[in-house]
Amino acid sequence: MEATIEVTGLRKRFGSTLALDGMSFIVQPGQVTGFVGPNGAGKSTTMRVILGLDAPDQGSALISGQPYPRLRRPLSHIGAMLDAAALQPGRTARNHLLWLAHSQGLSGRRVDEVIERAGLTSAARRKAGGFSLGMRQRLGIAAAMLGDPPVLMFDEPFNGMDPEGIVWMRGYLRYLAAEGRAVLVSSHLMSEMQDSADHLVVAGRGKVIADTSVAELIAAASGDRVTLRTGARPEAMTVLAHAGATVAATGRDTLAVTGLAAEQVVARLSESGVGFSEISAHRASLEEAYMELTRDAVEFRAQPAEEEVR
Amino acid sequence: MTIARHGLPLPAGTARTERALAGLPDALRAEWTKLRTAPGTAWILAAVCVLTIAVGAATAAATRCGGGTGCSIDPTKVSLTGIEAGQAVVAVLAVLVISDEYSTGMIAVTFTAMPRRWTVLAAKAVTLTSLVLAAAVVAVAGSLAAGRLILAGNGITAAYGFAVVSLAHGPTARAALGSVLYLALVGLLSLGIATIVRDSAAATGAVLGVLYVPPVIALFLGGEPTWQRWAERYTPMDAGLAILNTTGLRDLVISPWAGLGVLAGWAAAALLAAGLLLRLRDA
Repeated sequence: MEATIEVTGLRKRFGSTLALDGMSFIVQPGQVTGFVGPNGAGKSTTMRVILGLDAPDQGSALISGQPYPRLRRPLSHIGAMLDAAALQPGRTARNHLLWLAHSQGLSGRRVDEVIERAGLTSAARRKAGGFSLGMRQRLGIAAAMLGDPPVLMFDEPFNGMDPEGIVWMRGYLRYLAAEGRAVLVSSHLMSEMQDSADHLVVAGRGKVIADTSVAELIAAASGDRVTLRTGARPEAMTVLAHAGATVAATGRDTLAVTGLAAEQVVARLSESGVGFSEISAHRASLEEAYMELTRDAVEFRAQPAEEEVR
Repeated sequence: MTIARHGLPLPAGTARTERALAGLPDALRAEWTKLRTAPGTAWILAAVCVLTIAVGAATAAATRCGGGTGCSIDPTKVSLTGIEAGQAVVAVLAVLVISDEYSTGMIAVTFTAMPRRWTVLAAKAVTLTSLVLAAAVVAVAGSLAAGRLILAGNGITAAYGFAVVSLAHGPTARAALGSVLYLALVGLLSLGIATIVRDSAAATGAVLGVLYVPPVIALFLGGEPTWQRWAERYTPMDAGLAILNTTGLRDLVISPWAGLGVLAGWAAAALLAAGLLLRLRDA
């Protein structure tokens, strides 16, 4: 069975709030899947359901084809960090990992290995309650790695990390995916997913708004807008309009061209002998793409008939 | 999995039991490591022993019989008075075992590592009970030794017709064994209540309430003997402490072992409710 997380039609209500409203997505091995959305979108609840901590009212969550409670020694199937502060402060970091290891039939030797890989060797015998948030995140990651699982899941791992830690975390996530593991990382900040995620699941109000690769998302948000700088503005406008593009003057010598790819713009202008000094295809940032998406989601929300937005 | 580790096929029907208890050895080891490495455990166990022996000794020292004979003193029961105080500390330890995980959020880590929640509760119950039993043996032995010495100094000896504080004496041996079991059962009752209540402060309050409040109410309703008898027969502490008696058994509302059985019933009910709620509720 391939290492995956499969979430299908999860619904969950807490009192009067509908936390999950048909959440569905699949996390594939070998890539980092970013799970983004504003606070309250249902990301943490989805993760708790995946781990069998919360029971959904409807739907299912499978880890490599099996529901969580069916997993024997689950930490060798999936490693997770939900809340780095969730430990008893009076226990040393090593002893925290040691009870976890014992729960999986693992020995203290494995504990020392993950401590070393997480860079916690010097702090291992100190009480975890005194750790900074960044160190607790590392301890949480060490715990997730105990069983050397093919599937990993981190809830907001960048929270409270300093810039150095964020760079380390990004590299580590990429490294885990490169090893062939399925990695699901949640964040409420799209910018944190830049340079670390390959695939994105965008959640809003308990369901998936978009499920797409990062490359596709950026391409879609960028549209086919081309910015052109030329001294011969009227001529360029005529030529391009004839070619079917929509052209708008954006400055004294700049034009915004839509409806025509950059290569074709260059070809048409060259054919007609119109000179230009600069041409660039507009590339949206992930942040812009996300704003675009959530704007669409607002529009979708106005039409209740539209259930699945995928 | 119907093949045990030693490779012998198991009789049919054990598959379900085995699945239910799958991972119990791992869970026992994990919970034992947790309990062993929690900073408070050793201190609390020491407090159980010290408090039980000290209160027992103080009560023994205050027990005198002016005329030498004619007082109805049960020397074993007097020596073991400290159980009533020591049980509170046992309750605190038992509450910590589960409530501290809820207050820190570590319970989510526990159930992620060990998704079978009955197994976790069973492992917590076994590890807690083994430690409480060990502490209780020390506490009871110490109390009896101290009581024997101190009471003898006060002239309460076999020579004056009092019962002997000696494990060779049947009723005393029963009280001693029973007290050890009593403390273990109080631990299990507390674990069950704490699992139901979750919050440490509320759980400690609930446990101490269940133990100490019925006798107090019975005291207030002193003029109402039916209620008093009912309390002595059915409430966990009053009924359970019947096991301390070595003399005047005929006047007891409930016999020593039956009383301990009532407490065991309370503990079993609390653990059962706790187990059901663990399965039904989100972690």
